[in-house]
Parts: sequence; C-alpha cells; structure tokens
Amino acid sequence: MAKKPTAATSARQAKIDAARRKSGGGANRIVVGAVVAVLAIVAVVAGVVITESNKQKRVGTSTAVPAGAGAMGEGFVANKDVQLVAGAPTLDIYEDFQCPACAEFERAMGPTIKGLADDGKIKLVYHLKTFLDANLRTTHSLVMGNAAMCAADAGKFQTFHDTVYANMPAQEGQGWTSAQTERFAEEAGITGEAKDAWSTCVDERTYATYVESTEESSSKAGVNATPTIRLAGTTLDLNAVRDPAGLVAAVEAATK
Amino acid sequence: MSTRVADGLGLLARLVLGGVFLVAGALKVTTPEAMAKATQAYQLLPHDVAAWVGYALPMVEIILGLLLVLGLFTRVAAVLTSLLVVAFIVGIAQAWARGLTIDCGCFGGGGTVSAAETNYLQRIIEDLGLLACGVWLSWRPDAHLSLDRAMFRPATT
Repeated sequence: MAKKPTAATSARQAKIDAARRKSGGGANRIVVGAVVAVLAIVAVVAGVVITESNKQKRVGTSTAVPAGAGAMGEGFVANKDVQLVAGAPTLDIYEDFQCPACAEFERAMGPTIKGLADDGKIKLVYHLKTFLDANLRTTHSLVMGNAAMCAADAGKFQTFHDTVYANMPAQEGQGWTSAQTERFAEEAGITGEAKDAWSTCVDERTYATYVESTEESSSKAGVNATPTIRLAGTTLDLNAVRDPAGLVAAVEAATK
Repeated sequence: MSTRVADGLGLLARLVLGGVFLVAGALKVTTPEAMAKATQAYQLLPHDVAAWVGYALPMVEIILGLLLVLGLFTRVAAVLTSLLVVAFIVGIAQAWARGLTIDCGCFGGGGTVSAAETNYLQRIIEDLGLLACGVWLSWRPDAHLSLDRAMFRPATT
C-alpha cells in the first residue's frame, strides 16, 4: 500500500518542481545551443570555402596577360596596331559571350564599330565579362573568353569574337561544345601551327585568370550589365544611340 | 490579447518570416558567385567583403529560416533575422537614394537592371512586413508548435 503524502513530502515535491522549472527541464539549453551554433558556423564556413575553391579550380593558376592588354584587369585593345587619328576617343565595350543582348548589339553595331576601329577613329577596347557563368551555373563565358584571347595570340580576336556572336546558342546558358569552338577558330582563319597553339592555349586555360580579372575590375568599376558601352569614359545610353549613324555621330562628337 | 491568440500570432510570424528566409536562401545557395555579384552591385561594402557576404548570406538565411520555422531558439533567431532585414532595407534604400538601378537579388538574380525594372519601394514594404514579424518574435518568442516548448519546458507545466 502506497504511503499517503504528508505535508513534508509534498513541500519537498514543490521544491523539486520549482528547481526543475528554473533549470528549464527537458534538454539542456546550453548544450543544444552550442551544437546548433557549431553546425551553423561549419555550414557557413564550408559554403564559403567550397565556393572559393570552385572558383580557383575553374580559373586555374595561369598568369599570362594577352599582348593587347596592358596588365591584369585592363581591357584588351583590339586595334592596337592601327594608327589612331588625332584625338580619337576610346570606346570601351563590356561584353559577356553568353549575353543575348550583346549578340543583338553586335549584329546592329558590330560592323560599324569594326570600321571605326580599322580607320583609327576610335581606340577599341574589349572588357570580357563572365558574370553570366555565375547566374547560369556554367563556365561557357570563361571558356569562350579564354578561347577569344587565345585567338588574339594568332591576331584573330576580332574575327573570332564576331564568329561567336554570329553563332549564339538557341537558349541562353546552353553554351557551345568544344567542337563548335574549334570550328569558330577555323572560321576565324586560325590554321596550321597557329591552330595548334590556339588549341594548347584553350586546353591550358592560358588566359582564364586574365578574363576573370577583367570581370573583377569591371565589376569593381560598377559595370554589372552587358552590353555596356563607354565612349571616352561616359556610358552610352543604348536607347538614345540606337543605330550605327547615331554611334558614328557620338564618336565624332567625342573626337577632340 | 489572450495568450492563445498571441501564441497563434507568434506561430504565424514564425512561419512567414522563417518561410521567406528559408525559400530565399534555398533559391540562392546553389549560385553563391552570383550572390557575390549581387551584393557587390549595391556598392556599399568593400568589393571583396561584399563577395564574402554574398557567399555566406544564403546559408545564413537558410539556418535562420529553419530555426524560426521549427521554433528553436526563437528569440535569438528573431533578433538576428530582424537585424538582417534592417540591413537589407538600408542596402535597398541607399541604392535607391544614390540612383543605382539594381535588382535586389533577394530571391536570386541581382545586378544592374534598367531603371524601369527596379522595384525598391515594393521590396522595402515587404521587408517592413518581415521586420514586423521579427520584432514581434524578438519581444514575445513564445508560440504554438515550437521546439523551444517541446524541448525546454518542464513536463509539469
């Protein structure tokens, strides 16, 4: 037979209950909190480290800078060998090879820009961007940017660049196969020994660090959209300068 | 307000705030480098710092969202979440005030967009709604269906 609770035992029980309430009963808050905090920190740090290492792996370690660019982070001068007319302004073009709007811009303005560059009426500088890789979870922008700089070694940057934009994938993010890229090089007139050098350069991602550096520096300069066109340092409003004639007029106005 | 109503409101606040953070984080966690670009586009933090924040933010959002939905350490999670929402509001407001035309990158995307595509006011209003949930939970974290209750409450009450 169970003992009837006396006044003394029920008082003790009340004390035990009070103590349990105070300590919070159940699981230990501090232990659970510590576990959650540690897991959270590990997850965040691991995420950051993995992202950084993926980026390193993708870009590689080559430190080569193409002859047409002064240094890492600086744009590629497409008409470096052309004698510029007095007071010719610089036309900076920020493009990502995967950007459909860039292809549209090139179709409308490309030939005019090439003409101005060949005539020395502008200093034509390309800044290759790769930010669409980050959005689309691809590497096509970087791979194609590197391939274009490899084409520059053969003196064929502009034709390679134009060929790529004439052969955009049906869907943004789909990119190009390596066989397609090789055909672009051939179409751009890279053959024989130059073609072998181009292939090596593509395989070794010789200019990937450089292409990533122009992405970084342009993003630092606030260029987060493509195509962005800067004439003599001023961003052109492509809604205002919408046809070749408008561009030619703007270049003339910017020539000192 | 009765305890029951307040507990119900707390649950609602937890699900709204936690749910939004969980979804926002999950949509972005697979594209950390794009988030770095989105954070840099605010032109607020130093360039490299912004990249690190962009890498870390989606994971932080997921963790805080989970804690809120589960109701585990609700007050701590609510305070941290509220501080983040305040930071988001400041970021968006300063971008607006400086005439930047960016996508907030709240649920992915981000970067410069045309002026017509910005929706700063809408984002700020949404964030104020989230902030209200966060402040409520910081002040009164107790709510229905929480791990805080299930795990840390004595059986006698």
